[in-house]
Amino acid sequence: MKRIFALMLGAALVLSGCSSSSSESGSEAESKYSSDTLKLYNWGEYMGENLISDFEDEFGVKVIVEYFDSNEMMYTKLQAGDAYDVLVPSDYMIERLMAEDMLMELDHSKIPNLSNLAENLTNLDYDPGNQYSVPYFWGSVGIVYNKNNVPLELLEEQGWNILKNTDYKGDVYIYDSERDSFMMAFKALGYSMNTEDEAEIQAAYEWLQELNDTMEPTYVTDEVIDNMMSGTKSLAVVYSGDAAVILDENPDMGFFMPMEGTNLWSDAMVIPANAENPELAHEFINYVLTYDASYGNSEYVGYASSNQEVLDAMTGEGGYYADNEAYLPRDGYEKDEIFKDNEVLKQKLAELWIKVKAAQ
Amino acid sequence: MRHFKTMLYPYLVWIGIMIVVPMLMIVMYAFTQKGNDVTTFRFTLENFAYFFSDAIFLDVLKRSLWIAILTTIVCILLGYPTAYFIANARPNWHMRLVLLVTIPTWINMLVRTYAWMGILQDDGIINSFLGLFGLEPIKMLHTSFAVVLGMVYNFLPFMILQIHTSLTKMDKSLLEAANDLGADRVQRFLRVTLPLSMPGVISGITLVFLPAVSSFFIPKLLGGGQFVLIGNVIESQFLTSGNWNFGSAISMIMAVIIMISMYITKKVDRNVDERGV
Repeated sequence: MKRIFALMLGAALVLSGCSSSSSESGSEAESKYSSDTLKLYNWGEYMGENLISDFEDEFGVKVIVEYFDSNEMMYTKLQAGDAYDVLVPSDYMIERLMAEDMLMELDHSKIPNLSNLAENLTNLDYDPGNQYSVPYFWGSVGIVYNKNNVPLELLEEQGWNILKNTDYKGDVYIYDSERDSFMMAFKALGYSMNTEDEAEIQAAYEWLQELNDTMEPTYVTDEVIDNMMSGTKSLAVVYSGDAAVILDENPDMGFFMPMEGTNLWSDAMVIPANAENPELAHEFINYVLTYDASYGNSEYVGYASSNQEVLDAMTGEGGYYADNEAYLPRDGYEKDEIFKDNEVLKQKLAELWIKVKAAQ
Repeated sequence: MRHFKTMLYPYLVWIGIMIVVPMLMIVMYAFTQKGNDVTTFRFTLENFAYFFSDAIFLDVLKRSLWIAILTTIVCILLGYPTAYFIANARPNWHMRLVLLVTIPTWINMLVRTYAWMGILQDDGIINSFLGLFGLEPIKMLHTSFAVVLGMVYNFLPFMILQIHTSLTKMDKSLLEAANDLGADRVQRFLRVTLPLSMPGVISGITLVFLPAVSSFFIPKLLGGGQFVLIGNVIESQFLTSGNWNFGSAISMIMAVIIMISMYITKKVDRNVDERGV
């Protein structure tokens, strides 16, 4: 989900493709949409190589892309008044943006390709009926393990607790995010990851503290992808799509989703209320849902497509990710949960997470 | 000169908007509770109490100060001889050497720090080289060594340039006089050169210590997520926990610590001046 690497606070790289070989001339595009420029704000490394240039060529427009590396960073910029036409936040953030009236209701007549959506993504809790959001990618969180060093039976037996197995001391990557870390702690202890119970939060905090004290873990974000590709450590907490890329590159690696449950998430395209070019934004959302665009995205980035046909093609016989156990998230397992937006809880966890990491 | 004074106004307005107002906002946030709006302020000292009552935060503060002091010391030890060498180099080499020190700073700091990640990581340049001789890789990235290295590398030019400036400004005839009076090389250095270059060392310390104590991206990149310094705590308050009040309070605590340390260095500087002249 956060494959952005070379970008940090304030260093938003502005990438604007050239649209020299337009099939429509700029002025034509301008009369059809309010301007010929689309401002897209997306995760880094989250698009197929040709997505933007193909869209530009096909519609004779220019796309300005900026990248964020966390939902919170995106939210902060949005609050500061920056105007974008399309954003790709995660489920809980969409829930918050909706609650704060920061999104525009989608005009389904302008997105005919909505019918391409995978069925399990058409009625998500945070936005039933896709009134405000159209899923882009979806996935889960699991453990990437080196099959030579970690037996699958042990993973099945210990689940998330294998990250506290001192046989693997100093051999563990933990994803540096309060949400994902507390998720695994809550799940390991058998709680809901949306709990507000003080005692449960305290127990999860202690679970993480113990992990920090006994395991010498390394907290990483996107470095985990390269490092697990080269097999630096035996165990790592990784998002499913990133795991798919790792497995694709290094056949020694396997992907495991603990039976205690995990987080199922989705990132979806939305149009903010202050968008300057909503017409073109609808056009872009519709374009991403096409088979070719979605296939290009999914193949390159490794996350599960929101387009049912692409999913079938990828996982079906001979498909690009057919033998990849990380590509397709587990669906319909009762212990898997989706994050609910809960600002109070999130802040509390963030507060505790920095304390877990700071203790040495 | 009086009529030039009006030309200052744009600058004063600029300072007001860009420096004074943000500072006041930080103070306001630090002393108020969460969830203020424009009309209601609830003043509190809670943010400060929270910081000082938690051993973890105090540990982080200690660690940050320690890393910054270590960085500063290493910068002096490396920077002084370099600056001395440059200042005494032949004139036609002089500017070239200064340029060599400055050129790296033309490249963005973030990019240079990323380069260090590539050099230090487990399968990076150094370890690949060691591997050629069949040596086991050494863990360098994500250690305090890497953090101090990154800071020294990034901030060393400030130290060198400051010391260099004060060394070149020095009146060489003082050394000749000392020589005439029978001082040997060591005495000349210790009793003339060193005291006269102290102002450069002092401003070098300020320029290195300040960014080192509050840096957040160097520890984040080279120290890994588990290497938390005070800058990272502040960053997380603003970006992830959204607790701007607590973040502002820590910033204020840092500002006070920095002001105290500047006051001390100034004082040392003055004492040196009195002895030196």
